[in-house]
Amino acid sequence: MIRPLAGMARVGMRFQFAYRSDVIMSVVALVAQVFLLRMVWTSLYSGRESDPRGLTLEALLAYLSLANLQAFVTTPIIPMIAHFRIRTGTVFFDLSRPTGYLPQMAAFQAGHTAGGLLMLAPAIPVVLLVGTITPTEHPIGYAATLALGYVISVMMSLLICVIGFWTLETGAISLLYRLVSHFFAGTMVPLSFFPGALGVLADALPFKYMGYVPAAVYVGQLSGGQIGRAVAVEIGWIAALAGVLWAIWRRAHHKVVIQGG
Amino acid sequence: MIRVESLTKVFRRPHTFSGPLGPLRTLLTRRYDERTAVDGVSFEISAGEIVGYLGPNGAGKSTTVKMLTGILTPTSGLIEVDGRVPWRDREANARAVGVVFGQRSQLWWDLPLIDSLRLVGDLYDVPAARFAGSLRRMCDLLGLDDFLQTPVRQLSLGQRMRGDLAAAMLYDPPILYLDEPTVGLDVMAKQAVREFIAETNRLGRTTVVLTTHDLADVEALCERIILIDKGRVLYDGGIDDLVTAYAPPRRLVVELADDETRTFEIAAGRPIPELIAQVAAEHPIRDLSIREPDLEGVITRIYAESER
Ligand SMILES: Nc1ncnc2c1ncn2[C@@H]1O[C@H](COP(=O)(O)OP(=O)(O)O)[C@@H](O)[C@H]1O
Ligand SMILES: [Mg+2]
Repeated sequence: MIRPLAGMARVGMRFQFAYRSDVIMSVVALVAQVFLLRMVWTSLYSGRESDPRGLTLEALLAYLSLANLQAFVTTPIIPMIAHFRIRTGTVFFDLSRPTGYLPQMAAFQAGHTAGGLLMLAPAIPVVLLVGTITPTEHPIGYAATLALGYVISVMMSLLICVIGFWTLETGAISLLYRLVSHFFAGTMVPLSFFPGALGVLADALPFKYMGYVPAAVYVGQLSGGQIGRAVAVEIGWIAALAGVLWAIWRRAHHKVVIQGG
Repeated sequence: MIRVESLTKVFRRPHTFSGPLGPLRTLLTRRYDERTAVDGVSFEISAGEIVGYLGPNGAGKSTTVKMLTGILTPTSGLIEVDGRVPWRDREANARAVGVVFGQRSQLWWDLPLIDSLRLVGDLYDVPAARFAGSLRRMCDLLGLDDFLQTPVRQLSLGQRMRGDLAAAMLYDPPILYLDEPTVGLDVMAKQAVREFIAETNRLGRTTVVLTTHDLADVEALCERIILIDKGRVLYDGGIDDLVTAYAPPRRLVVELADDETRTFEIAAGRPIPELIAQVAAEHPIRDLSIREPDLEGVITRIYAESER
């Protein structure tokens, strides 16, 4: 059971390396985005001693850098891969393997993310520097919320892959998903700044676990019992998503058509 | 080895509307279009056979192959492959079959060929020593050494097809489904593919179902063919029997003095000299030859008859 998944993970990593020029471009974009956000927020904060929501400028900048870095690393590739393979019918081969389709995709994603981290390693100090990030007081809480947030992100993207079996088209959906998930992850604006109903919505959705929650733990905006509660809710999300995926996959199985002959 | 009985597949999909609001209506409609791709097909294939599964475009060949692999579920009918129902017992069936589609590849486009082959070894959990032996044999048989490290997108179609054949056979499945494996290949590449299929069948007693348009593939490899059209079996049996049973008349091909070529059917039982004399009386003949019926002529005739 382990070997097929390790093989898929290796291919996911190689796939990441095969597109290294893309990665360099998106690292440049990431650094630029963090830099721009920093300018905007610095200007918004100028003249104020502190924000009513209790986040100093330093903490906010650190938060934005982290949240963007995290969102960048955890943004899944598999909806794009699945979309392409469903459209061209190559998904036939994924389905004809002795290993399940969803485990294969998840392993591919894990390898892809690991490859991204390896390539990003040199850029991380730069982002930390630009974002003036200092070591956290909650390393374990940060690691836990981020790791679980990543699992949620992968499961959500698996859901999009499966939807592709119905719509035969996930291109627009995965683009939309990317926009929505980044926004509600709080990569531009911390969730604690979202007004009224938007704040309630953002709080109810799982996207915050990919950006806001771990980053807020890192900069100390969430601590103690709040971290424990976040971890518990993340585990709840994972269980719920596992159930939904299992149920939808069973139906998608019978929906399968392989295009082209 | 393979038993198929009254196999039927009906595709059902939302009716496609045209016009400006077409896509939206298509999304919301409850009207469905049905298309019977495979319509009551039955056959049996024994271990070690190479069977040609022939038919014009849209006959239902690929749909049959997809059902044999267990990826598509039949609408009705029965399939048994090596004692298993493919779509119910997908995992075991997956280990027992290799599949090659001429029109699509299982190789990862952006990665060197060897990466895709290693992945196959992992996915089917082939022990390292056996994998090394298998890979060596594939490299020798298919001449892969020159491009193992080349990204698949840089391979020629012939090289890619050889890579796909290797990927399908690396885990030694007893059954191989080939769906138009020679489509678009040049003569040399076609020859390489045919030799590989023949070798695989001879050495490993691999059962092969070969879908193709190229009758030269069939003549080189198959003793038996199953001919289908519009989802139905038109003929199932030996190639020799087919040619004898359905043989169209032999033809007399005459080249006339003014560079015109004419063909005359030689009616069964009619002495050829008599026909030649008759033709010669009416036309000035420069050259003549007699054309024996070939497989192509036979198959064309069967399709033409089934149209009526
Ligand atoms: N996914 C599908 N949805 C609807 N119709 C399909 C689908 N796949 C194949 N068909 C139809 O089924 C028929 C048989 O197709 P196919 O098995 O691919 O033929 P062949 O491989 O013999 O060329 C064709 O008429 C084709 O249009
Ligand atoms: Mg076909």
